[in-house]
Amino acid sequence: MASEIDSQQRPVSAKIVISGGFGVGKTTFVSAVSEIAPLRTEAKMTSAASGVDDATFVQQKTSTTVAMDFGKITVEQGLVLYVFGTPGQDRFGFMWNDITAGALGALILVDTRRLDECFNAIDFFEERGVPFVIGLNQFDGAPQHSIDDIREALDLDRAVPIVRTDARGCETALETLVQLLTHVLQSLSAKAVAPPRPERPAPVVTDDMRSRAMSALATERSGA
Amino acid sequence: METDDKSELLEEGAFTRPYLLTGGRTRSEAGELAVEAMIAVTKGSSPPADRDLAAIYSLCQTPNSIAEISAKCAMPLGVARVLVADLWGEGTLEVLETTRSDDIAIVRRLLDGIRNR
Repeated sequence: MASEIDSQQRPVSAKIVISGGFGVGKTTFVSAVSEIAPLRTEAKMTSAASGVDDATFVQQKTSTTVAMDFGKITVEQGLVLYVFGTPGQDRFGFMWNDITAGALGALILVDTRRLDECFNAIDFFEERGVPFVIGLNQFDGAPQHSIDDIREALDLDRAVPIVRTDARGCETALETLVQLLTHVLQSLSAKAVAPPRPERPAPVVTDDMRSRAMSALATERSGA
Repeated sequence: METDDKSELLEEGAFTRPYLLTGGRTRSEAGELAVEAMIAVTKGSSPPADRDLAAIYSLCQTPNSIAEISAKCAMPLGVARVLVADLWGEGTLEVLETTRSDDIAIVRRLLDGIRNR
């Protein structure tokens, strides 16, 4: 039954991240660009902030499932781009590290009616030096602010592109991906000339993240 | 929706099993794997006897990422990682190349590929 993978067919994979506030259209965007129906992967964890797993506290912990939706684009034979949506809730920020480590860039979707909900995402990618583009997702009835006004409201550097997008449309969404990758390319080219910034560490899941996930499973088990 | 059904299944039934499968371990000796890392069966290896490991092995006849394995085998991400890393460590599966985040040539190829869709 072993059908081996021939060396010609060993795909290389890359990753980008779709982020933004809750309900801003991340999963819709992933569906629009993905060649497969979006898949959902889950991580179990407790919402208690404490990293200590003491059985006596088990009753006070609530277990939560964090779901990440993702899609896939086979760009050419042997090159696959994964598109990961970040979980919407800020308190699961540590999952963002996992998804973001090694990502080429990020699209931050914004609903202009709830501008403040993207602040966390902007801070997150700015701090990590991940190139990102702001995508103003079109919602019916949402106010049409000028790009300049939005830039000012978000206190964004001129270098960060702000584009209008529609997560519901495949072509519009793909065009937004092109804008993101163009920006990533420009950032990398600029970096190649300027002194290099420290390379981000290789993708890593910390023991803490693992033990949270696993202890949540154990908690469920004992509570069942 | 299918994904919702699957998550419900995890909630109510199946989920002690993956934890038992890893023997309570939260990490594998073999190392760390990125969510987008693609996994393929090693040429000449044989399928594991265990049913869940065999499911992973069978899926990876065609390269699949850790995230896909987690989703398609309905196991939490952390558990899929540990199991795959184990199979990788013993040489049953291999991990294919992921790109560096500063690889300009790859970004160009992605850009061209998506523009031409």
